[in-house]
Amino acid sequence: MKKFLSLITLCFIVHFTAVAQDFNFGGLTESDYQFKKNTLDSNANAVVLKEFGRTSIQINESDGRPEIHFEYHVRIKIFNKDGFNHSNIVIPTYKDERNREMIKITKASTFNYNNGVFVETPLDKKAVFTEDRSKYTLLTKFTLPNIKEGSVIEYVYELQSPNLFNFKTWDFQSNIPKVYSEYQVNIPAIYNYNVSLRGPYKLTDQKTELFKECLRIAGNAIDCSKITYIMKNIPAFLEEDYMTAASNFRSAIYFELSDVQNLNGSRQSYTKTWKDVDFELTTAKNIGGQMKRKDVFKDILPNVLKNATDELSKAKAIYNYIKKQIKWNNYYGKYSEENIKDVVEMRSGNVADINLSLIAALSAAGLDAEAVILSTRENGTVNKLYPVMSDFNYIVAKVNIANKSYLLDATEPLLPFGLLPLRCINDQGRVINLKKPSYWIDLKADQKNVTNYILSGALTTDGKIKGTITTYTLGYAAFNRRKEIKKYNSIDEFVEKLDEQMPKLSIVKHEILNIDSVENTLTERYDVEFTVFDGKVMDQVYFNPFFINRIAKNPFNLNDRTYPIDLGAASDERINISVTLPEAYELIEKPKDMAIALPENGGRYLLQTSLLDNKIAVNQVLQFSNAIYPADHYLSLKEFYSRIIQNQKKDLLLKKTK
Amino acid sequence: MKLAVTLILCFFGLTPCIAQDNYDADLIPATLRNRANAVIRNEETYVNMLAPNNVQYTVKQAITILNKNGEDNARLVLFYDKNTTIKNVTGEIYNEVGKLMGKFNESAFKDESAVHDFSLFEDNRIKHYLPNLNVYPYTIVYNYTIRFKQNLIIPNWTPKPANDVSVEKSSYTFVCKPTDQFRIKAQNINNKAEEQVNDKQKSLVWKVSNLTSQKDEPFSPDKESYQPSIKIAPEQFTYYNYKGAYTNWQELGKWYYENLLKGRNVLPAATVETIKALVKDIPTDKEKAKKIYECLQTKTRYISVQIGIGGFQPFAAAEVDRLGYGDCKALVNYMQSLLAVVGIESYYCVVQAGSEKKSLDPTYASMNQGNHIILCMPLKGDTTWLECTSQKIPFGFLSDFTDDRYVLACTPEGGKLLRTPKLTVQNNLQVRQADLTLTDQGNITGTVKTVFSGSQYDNHEHIIGKPLLEQEKMLKEAYAIDNINFDKIDYIQKKNIEPELIETLALNIKNYGALNNDKIFLPLNPFNVQRTIPEVKNRMMPVYINRGYTDVDTIIYLLPDYFNGAIEPYEKVINCEYGSYVATAKLEGKKLSYTRKFILNDGTFKAESYAVYSKFIADVNSADHQKLILNLKK
Repeated sequence: MKKFLSLITLCFIVHFTAVAQDFNFGGLTESDYQFKKNTLDSNANAVVLKEFGRTSIQINESDGRPEIHFEYHVRIKIFNKDGFNHSNIVIPTYKDERNREMIKITKASTFNYNNGVFVETPLDKKAVFTEDRSKYTLLTKFTLPNIKEGSVIEYVYELQSPNLFNFKTWDFQSNIPKVYSEYQVNIPAIYNYNVSLRGPYKLTDQKTELFKECLRIAGNAIDCSKITYIMKNIPAFLEEDYMTAASNFRSAIYFELSDVQNLNGSRQSYTKTWKDVDFELTTAKNIGGQMKRKDVFKDILPNVLKNATDELSKAKAIYNYIKKQIKWNNYYGKYSEENIKDVVEMRSGNVADINLSLIAALSAAGLDAEAVILSTRENGTVNKLYPVMSDFNYIVAKVNIANKSYLLDATEPLLPFGLLPLRCINDQGRVINLKKPSYWIDLKADQKNVTNYILSGALTTDGKIKGTITTYTLGYAAFNRRKEIKKYNSIDEFVEKLDEQMPKLSIVKHEILNIDSVENTLTERYDVEFTVFDGKVMDQVYFNPFFINRIAKNPFNLNDRTYPIDLGAASDERINISVTLPEAYELIEKPKDMAIALPENGGRYLLQTSLLDNKIAVNQVLQFSNAIYPADHYLSLKEFYSRIIQNQKKDLLLKKTK
Repeated sequence: MKLAVTLILCFFGLTPCIAQDNYDADLIPATLRNRANAVIRNEETYVNMLAPNNVQYTVKQAITILNKNGEDNARLVLFYDKNTTIKNVTGEIYNEVGKLMGKFNESAFKDESAVHDFSLFEDNRIKHYLPNLNVYPYTIVYNYTIRFKQNLIIPNWTPKPANDVSVEKSSYTFVCKPTDQFRIKAQNINNKAEEQVNDKQKSLVWKVSNLTSQKDEPFSPDKESYQPSIKIAPEQFTYYNYKGAYTNWQELGKWYYENLLKGRNVLPAATVETIKALVKDIPTDKEKAKKIYECLQTKTRYISVQIGIGGFQPFAAAEVDRLGYGDCKALVNYMQSLLAVVGIESYYCVVQAGSEKKSLDPTYASMNQGNHIILCMPLKGDTTWLECTSQKIPFGFLSDFTDDRYVLACTPEGGKLLRTPKLTVQNNLQVRQADLTLTDQGNITGTVKTVFSGSQYDNHEHIIGKPLLEQEKMLKEAYAIDNINFDKIDYIQKKNIEPELIETLALNIKNYGALNNDKIFLPLNPFNVQRTIPEVKNRMMPVYINRGYTDVDTIIYLLPDYFNGAIEPYEKVINCEYGSYVATAKLEGKKLSYTRKFILNDGTFKAESYAVYSKFIADVNSADHQKLILNLKK
């Protein structure tokens, strides 16, 4: 009886497998030909009609190690010439000194519908090219032949990868829409993966069943979970301006290896609890091991700290020392590539090399320093439910001084103490302490974008304004401004360029303060002259007072928004203009004074204009209190800008008093 | 005695160290520091043509990087492929006072493929190195040798690579057999070469010194017109198992045709028949060609393929016929083959493509000029040009990618230099007619029709056929007016030899005119505000305007009913050698009409006149911001 039952089950599975199978190569039907551009999305230049992927774990015959086997099959319809580039295929694979992924293009063809039949043009196998892109990347490239408007292309490839950890991510969403996307994973029972589905769309269907004896290791048969994920009618993923990481929103299914049961019954854990992770990180040679290396700085510190008296000044001295000493090689990372002794000697390193050196140096000076691992903005958000180490791609230092903590990143020499680069301001990071359990910390910008413009001048009788513009910048605004100024070899060259870029204004004299002392407010002072009227000032004149940072273009000019709006950091801009008139005038008309605000205290704009003692004063404040706004605030932001723009079109009307 | 010999040897061994250049940054004269980010202290380029298939190219280069902005000049990038091998790369780094800080070799270089975007290719690769230093100044010294297995292309010598680099001294030595014949093109170099000939070899040495850096100036002419350079083209050459000789374009074109093109035009019989059938009822050659060209545009697409004789040989016509794709060489060769089927003669033409016009040098033939291929049909005096890599471009139109420059036609009779037609100030036209209605709330609705031709057609061609959503986004950037919305978007492409693109938009703009009490502030010119260009103090370079154009705008505003009274007619006229501008506004009844005509001339102008240009554009910009203040009745 039992035998009979399993037979039935088997039949059933076989039957099911037949259904959930890969589709037939070249099995095109009239409906594929008929499939019209606007069936799914009238804006698409091409569409994925069907897509099937299957991943399993198999034993490599040559070395006996388990590896990932991935098969991919896709059928794409190309609607028009702008869609032709979807027939140029590039598949990146990973390689390093020890391992490499192997790829094989098994089939690829173009199908053109001609007189009621599909004519197949197969890809010439010789037309598959491999490009050794860089140290870690190999590109496999080919282009399908005979592409015309309405062509259907199909290709299949197989990939073997030694990287079991992330299994194989499946992107349901791509830059063209998909009619049907199916992914089948076969996970041996001894492997345990954490699976997460990202993006706004739900699976159309998901099936899980048992696949008996799918794998044989050292003579032992192992069963698999066979899971099939299906999604239908998936819109194209379109990036928007001012967007946080696309990976936060694109529909895809991710895997991370949690643990493996060895044949002897023991379990080896990969993704685990934070407690396990803490232990691993603090003992790992490339994180904790480097944090402990106080010895590296033993001889250097006395000199660095010779003028530092308290803890804060010590921390600042060390931060400045590391910023100056080690140059960032533009690579991110949470693990150091070199040991920090070499880093300090070679004066170059990745993010981890630099910030682990900073932590070690701070600790060597007796300060309470910790590490914070985080994910940069373009890398997306991290999983908070359980530790997913591959989500993190960056590490910074945290130093605690008298109940206050400071987050430090020594990769950017122009950042002041306590301000992280914008790329790090992304939700939360995890604090790793050598002795205590780890915990989450908010990654907030310590300072806003603060800019303050003050123009104080006088209008001459021949229609010119002569005066002084003083600009104060702080926070990220100062960081960006310093970067801009530093592009020039000297302040004089910078000012020359600045002057040249504003043909209607001339800079007579200039002074820039605190360009190198990044802890202080960057101050620029320019004596300027510019024309506001052609010819003589008449008895009655219209006069537009918005000559500093006038907003000419609405940055939010669309009518729809799907994803949150990322402005980088909160900001505060003030413009104070004061112009003395040559004679007595009265103010007949002016743009209305206004005070408008964004919903939920998201920001505000204030404008005040007045004439007092022959002096026109125009004061504006523009504030954004958040770095990120939800998508449904888009239209409010658009309207907010629109009202500012309208108001700035209006002139003052002045009349000479007799 | 033996000891003495050793000692002497030691001394000799030491000599180079003592005589070595001193890289103390303080030794750089002030004139060379001015505006410089990097200074070439000493560079010695030594080219030894041992044999046509063995050219040794040896460089010793010491460059002081003065600041972070000069950092990129410290980078060494070396290309290599099957025919080019890198040998013996070493480097040294010296600090500010000229003390040796470290040495490195080839293993420190990063190795990458030299291909970007989608390209099918063989083996072009680069090795590159950039030192990790953030304390300036420092000096980096490179020594390397490259071996070329060919002598058709010998790298040009340009001792001063960029404006922000000054040169203390640099030399170029070319060595060959005394019997070797070659041509030299020297540009912007005053000194004649020092020549030495003996039985075994002939050598030529050029030297430059104390070349100062200069500021980057906008609208400067092509670098080649002022940069010093030496170019050398040997008469007898070897290239990928080919041998040949040339001294002028005629001979080079002949070799090109005979060796790389001839015999690659065979088509399958079926295609020959199809083409014959396709044009059998068409009377003239030009119309036949047009039909075949349209067929090419539907059948093929462009894919970059860097394969075959160093990237010079097109793949055969039959291959393109089978695959439906090819690069510029392959597609031109294919089109030429299709035309040949019906007896239409055409020339395969090498061109230096790009919006910046650059001719092949009529006075100096060489293989390393040109980067693209186009097709020329003589058509008995009605010369017609074809760009074969685009599916959108009209028959007979080359676009600003290859207009107005010398190209090399490779024909069976040999090479000929031909000039492509020029897109003139009058050709590059944009004519706009807008009919708009203004409400008493300042809102605008109406239609805007714009016809783009010449290079202005080029600027907008890419929008044709884009999905509506994308067109809308692009238009919102092109007409960046707050609150602009498009109710209807329509494009008509007139695929003439002088093509036109007709853009018709139905639009509305909420609050375009700003309402204040009883007044509306109406900016007269919504769609075409000229952007200012920078001023340049002490302009050094001549002013070069690559292409001129003409814009004509006519806007009729229908004003709201209870608009009060009259406005004074407005007129602004500006004229100068760079162009002209006329803007007018006048009111007839409720109809306010605004016109604007802007002409920018192309050409080369004197350096001193840059201020005129800058002021002209600034004045146009001011005039384009002209606002009208309308009083509303109450």
